[in-house]
Amino acid sequence: MKRAVIVFILAALVLISVGVWFFSSSAKVTTVDILSFGIIILVVAFAVFIGFKRLSSAKRGEPAEDELSKKVMRKTSSLSYYISLYLWLVIMYFSDKLKFETHTIIGAGILGMAVIFAICWLIINFGGIRNE
Amino acid sequence: MNNRIKEFRARYNLTQEDLAKKVDVRRETIVFLEKNKYNPSLKLAHDIATAFDSKIEEIFLFD
Repeated sequence: MKRAVIVFILAALVLISVGVWFFSSSAKVTTVDILSFGIIILVVAFAVFIGFKRLSSAKRGEPAEDELSKKVMRKTSSLSYYISLYLWLVIMYFSDKLKFETHTIIGAGILGMAVIFAICWLIINFGGIRNE
Repeated sequence: MNNRIKEFRARYNLTQEDLAKKVDVRRETIVFLEKNKYNPSLKLAHDIATAFDSKIEEIFLFD
């Protein structure tokens, strides 16, 4: 229950920060900004989905985490870590070729890591863990 | 590894939620076990066998 609430608080904080950044920016809103905003909304939606799952488990009197969910999280973490390394390699390769500011590239990398984590979690969680 | 959890659950007239509560896991875990998408730990296998008043090898079938 406590962890589910923490997930909701974090999601709200991220949304507020993004909202402040998006609406207070004096510069013209570009396609990249809108794309980043969309991806952040997707990542937040994923976090809220996890929060709701935990909350509904708690309401049914089940543990928020059990051996399967812990295993899924462990496997997701390791897999997304390896894929993220390749993401950073690709970003390093293209960083000279693309004319983006450094903080934009780092932001895109961090956002990419979050997206990779979400995709890995979806694949492992719904695909199951067999013969391990 | 296959299992007969669904069969035993029907025999004992338990829902997935009831069994999940008995062995202290989420209902999702029972769903994954029944679909053979997850192999349980020895402790969970033991807890499930205890819940059905049976032996582990009666419920979990090794190929």
